[in-house]
Amino acid sequence: MYNDKESQKIVDIIQNYARKHSLFILAYGTGCGAIEIPPTMTSRYDAERFGIRGAATPRQADVLLITGYLATKSLKRVIKVYEQMQDPKYVIGFGSCTINGGMYWDSYNTINVLDKYIPVDVNINGCMPRPEAVIAGFVKLQKQIQEGKADGWDKYKKNLDYYKENQKKIITNWVMPDFNW
Amino acid sequence: MEGIGYKILGAVLTTILAFVVGMFYGGFSRKIIARIQNRVGPPVWQNFLDVLKLLFKKTSVRYGVMHHLAPLWMITMSVTTLMFIPILKDGLFFTNLNFSGDLIFLLYIMVFGSLGMALGAGATGNPNTAIGVSRGLTQMVGFEIPWVMALVALMIQYKTTSVTGLMDIQSQSGTWMMFSSPFAFIAALLAMPGMFRYSPFDIVGAPQELASGPVSEFGGKYLSTMMTSGSIFAFVKLTLYVDLFMGGASNLIVLVLKTFALYLYPVLWGAVSARFRTEQSVRYFWGWPAFFGFIALLYAAF
Amino acid sequence: MSENNLHNEQKLLNLLEKKFILKGGSVRRERRVEVKVEPKEIVPVLLYAKENSGYTAFTHMSCVDWIEDGEFEVVYILWHPEEKINFFVKTRVSRDNGTLPNIDFIWRQANTYEREIREMFGIQFEGLVGREEFILEDWEHMPPMRRDFDTVKFVEKTYFERPGREDAKDVREYVQERTDEELPDFAKKYSRD
Repeated sequence: MYNDKESQKIVDIIQNYARKHSLFILAYGTGCGAIEIPPTMTSRYDAERFGIRGAATPRQADVLLITGYLATKSLKRVIKVYEQMQDPKYVIGFGSCTINGGMYWDSYNTINVLDKYIPVDVNINGCMPRPEAVIAGFVKLQKQIQEGKADGWDKYKKNLDYYKENQKKIITNWVMPDFNW
Repeated sequence: MEGIGYKILGAVLTTILAFVVGMFYGGFSRKIIARIQNRVGPPVWQNFLDVLKLLFKKTSVRYGVMHHLAPLWMITMSVTTLMFIPILKDGLFFTNLNFSGDLIFLLYIMVFGSLGMALGAGATGNPNTAIGVSRGLTQMVGFEIPWVMALVALMIQYKTTSVTGLMDIQSQSGTWMMFSSPFAFIAALLAMPGMFRYSPFDIVGAPQELASGPVSEFGGKYLSTMMTSGSIFAFVKLTLYVDLFMGGASNLIVLVLKTFALYLYPVLWGAVSARFRTEQSVRYFWGWPAFFGFIALLYAAF
Repeated sequence: MSENNLHNEQKLLNLLEKKFILKGGSVRRERRVEVKVEPKEIVPVLLYAKENSGYTAFTHMSCVDWIEDGEFEVVYILWHPEEKINFFVKTRVSRDNGTLPNIDFIWRQANTYEREIREMFGIQFEGLVGREEFILEDWEHMPPMRRDFDTVKFVEKTYFERPGREDAKDVREYVQERTDEELPDFAKKYSRD
């Protein structure tokens, strides 16, 4: 009766509209860039008009903000948190430390390129990015969700071996639960 | 047969009305709090988008049968409580299932929703949920005292336990119960923010406290069910207050206006106040509100 | 500066020279006194400075790697709150399996500093109570603050190459290539040479 492709598209449009207008951020500041999140959420550069609010646990959150550098100690915990979140989930990398190592590129303890360990959807550059830049990053993520291209979570499931091999290279004491979805 | 058909249709329409109005009130409260804090808030339909997004989540994690049933229990209890409250004074669809002893019945069925959440939260094994649940139940001990005293004072004064009976008395005598038994109204009004779990009594569900307390392991579709049941329950409580103290309502527009005027009180007070600890809130409730409830009992007896 | 102002600093040096065997000591300038001792004289000197002379505040403890001499030099910095004078105590231990006495019964905050030096340089402290792992987790290589730990090679081996900075050049060379600007002489020298 109904054309299958046509009705699928309408459902997708409603789905993406609902997903892009209510993003729950996990309240977890991993690095020194976390100091730019409170100004973005409070009165002057109001992020709540986009529907963005804070959630307390990984089970309820959509977006994981990696704000700044990640030591190998934090990377282990971030991977555990990322695998506890429910699909569909998005990762935003703040600052230049997630893009190519930034100021700490030659440190023996921090990772350089975040995209090889967990899939990143949007990168915001700056050291630290100003709240206007943060909101511009969120608008870009919203546009990606609307077009259906923000599929980092799908990439993680399909290329799990590649990501796990990269992670196991630097985390030598691997005491982590198996990822089962 | 016609009566049954109208009652079923009335039940469905009441549920839809409670859902829509409850969600809009949540959006209005976020907008009002945002304007008080000198910023533009989210649009008033934001809660609908939140529930829709949570329904579209692809994976759900559950910890066993009790954890899976807890949100269903909560929403069942909310809808059941909704069925026993007369929404309008008279009319074809919205009078629902009343019988004569129903104020006492309402008193204890309103507690069942939290019981479901407590059982579900206990099944996860997360220590945050256990502490959050114990805090919530301790707070409930606090606010139940002035609330029950106010209702018992009303029942003694007018010698009836049915909500429709109290509404009839108000329409016959022409004055609202707000003015003819003022101490009961004051006691119930002071107990109201505790029932809504708004600031300053929101230690149970706030995200900064223990990772949201009891709801910290619910995600995805379970969370959407719990948000829905929360907003339906808010509408239930507001309608009960309006029926008892403000003379009910004879059509939907007056009902919405009266409940919104009453809803502004916890929202506005909550926007400017800090959070109490559990023992501070219990000590508050057993102070002046219980005192007013006691005076209401004396006033009703003599 | 007039010589009269260094009276308080000189007072401490005179007292210490009478009581302990010092390997060297001087008043460097106003508010700065330094003293060099053997490792077994650290605890008596610090206790004397804390209880008799009033240097009651422990500010810092750090370590310098003299790889040419084959020794580590550990520096303790104390502070006199009333007269506002800094006091430096310097010792040297050998690079292979050096041990120093533990001073955290004098000031409790020295525990943190000693654990950091133990993890980053490899000096053992006798009787130090605290977990072996302090900041780095699951670290099996050489203590990383030593000068013979080649950080750049370690980073290239373990972590991924950064896109866009493959040659790890200094940004001043890029600036000079892209604009025809002439850098002044003092800015051309690398500070690590």
